[in-house]
Amino acid sequence: MSTPEHGFFTDVTLCIGCKACEVACKQWNQLPADGYAFSGNSYDNTNGLSATTWRHVAFVEQMDRVEPSASRWMMMSDVCKHCTNAGCLEACPTGAIVRNEFGDVYVQPDVCNGCGYCVPSCPFGVVAIQPEAGVAQKCTLCYDRQKDGLEPACAKSCPTDSITFGPVEELRALAEARVAKLHAEGREAHLYGVDGPETRDVGALNAFFLIPDRPEVFNLPPKPVLPSKFQRAAYTSGLLGALALTAVGLAVFRPKPWSA
Amino acid sequence: MDATEKHGAQFAAGGAYGPDAVADSMQRGDGGFGRDQQTYYDHPVLQKPHWKWEVVTYFFIGGMAAASSALAALAASGGDPDDALLVRNARYSALAGALASGALLVKDLGRPERFLNMLRIVKLKSPMSVGVYALSVFSMNAGVRALEQLHADGHAPFAVPGWLAKPLRVTTGAPATALMACYTGVLVSATAIPVWFTGRRHIPAIFVCSAVSTGAALQNALLVLTGGSARTAKKLAIVELIASCAEAVLLLHWRLSAGESAKPLFRGARGRRLERFTLVGGLALPALLLLPSVLSRRPRHDRLLGLTAAVAALFGGYVLRESIVHAGRDSADDARAYLRHPE
Repeated sequence: MSTPEHGFFTDVTLCIGCKACEVACKQWNQLPADGYAFSGNSYDNTNGLSATTWRHVAFVEQMDRVEPSASRWMMMSDVCKHCTNAGCLEACPTGAIVRNEFGDVYVQPDVCNGCGYCVPSCPFGVVAIQPEAGVAQKCTLCYDRQKDGLEPACAKSCPTDSITFGPVEELRALAEARVAKLHAEGREAHLYGVDGPETRDVGALNAFFLIPDRPEVFNLPPKPVLPSKFQRAAYTSGLLGALALTAVGLAVFRPKPWSA
Repeated sequence: MDATEKHGAQFAAGGAYGPDAVADSMQRGDGGFGRDQQTYYDHPVLQKPHWKWEVVTYFFIGGMAAASSALAALAASGGDPDDALLVRNARYSALAGALASGALLVKDLGRPERFLNMLRIVKLKSPMSVGVYALSVFSMNAGVRALEQLHADGHAPFAVPGWLAKPLRVTTGAPATALMACYTGVLVSATAIPVWFTGRRHIPAIFVCSAVSTGAALQNALLVLTGGSARTAKKLAIVELIASCAEAVLLLHWRLSAGESAKPLFRGARGRRLERFTLVGGLALPALLLLPSVLSRRPRHDRLLGLTAAVAALFGGYVLRESIVHAGRDSADDARAYLRHPE
């Protein structure tokens, strides 16, 4: 591949929760609004990623009553992780989900038939069926913009560069430097999706994060599973069952009846 | 479900934080904003599968069709003239089941040509792809078999040429039927949904047993309605009895060995429904009703008894598939179960 893999580095310590990424994503990709609903969850009324929300800013409030100065308010712009081993891509029976020339996991809308098997196969709960379109939708990493040499809409609109876009190798170097800087300042920080336990099944994530707390605080699974690894046990179970019952049938319907 | 409705439901279910989060914050006494959050406001981490009644019914009918086809082949290979009626019924019903399966899948996908999108590639890594080919090849075999039967019954003007039918049957018949009976179990097992993937050693075998127990029940009912021999009915009853016992044992073993992640299936209203209609109504009751005819040396044909047993078994089989599919939705909603990471 001539083009190096491109992805996102999302730095939670820089996010101010302006949601420009959510809006820019909706506008560029012409995604419909999701309606007005008050969640009561801090400043987050988006709640999570969906077929029509490809960036979602989470607001995590941690108030320390004993030591108020230790309180913090963290914002994280969540997005499709564009996994190295993508559960959705493996599950897709039509070949609609592919890895494109920029290393993005991309759903071809004209090939997708809306079977929905990618949906429970994504260990991050990203891809979903859009009922009106009847196909699976998720972040395309702005494939169309990348083709024209532009950065994705969310990264372009981010005012603090909490979202950075670029070749994954370069982003990792940038992220390592940022972690080192934060550690030098005595702040908590680690990378999610580079080489931690979360990459055990799904591999490194092309869209990875710098988080100052445990992953589950941001609804990121500490050890996301790759569903295809369960197939061997499942096929064994099913085929052994079929074999055993075939033997029963052969015995019952054998030419010489037992009653003779 | 639109966003307002979704969030409304979430609110009704115990506020924005969900019952667990509320309990946590009460314990901490910090109003829910402490440092030890277990999830992000208990918002689901996973997306729910959208599968509705079409897919549940497909799981149910597809399994029965596979079992019917297998019973036809086994009975035909035995060569007992008493079983000829079973062979005929089973061949026709296997084709009917295969056609209904295709129709249900098309209904789920929305447009017929969408089915063809799945035939543009073969992907052994995707149980959905494997299943599409299992269904296609199975349907082809079922069609050929039904045509042969039609010809044997004197209703078809032409015969399927042997050079076409036999190689097809020998090479693909058994594998396609076996896959057809079990792949739906593999399909749900190979996902990120905790209740499904932690049940991967049980679900596919349970689906096969359920396919055979409901398939045998269906054939028994058809036999009663078409006036088949009591000896054939007894053979079917034995098959159904063994499959039902295996299914019950597997279900109970799963229930006992499963941890928290199987809660959406075995606890609460769904657990009670599964217990009532599948374990008791669908497995134990038909087994009890069939036992006398299995044990007697000279089986009698009790039409009412046979039909009652069959209806109970079929309903139990449907409830089983429905419960497992619906439990997957609830399991996807349980952020804690997934983040705590059962695997």
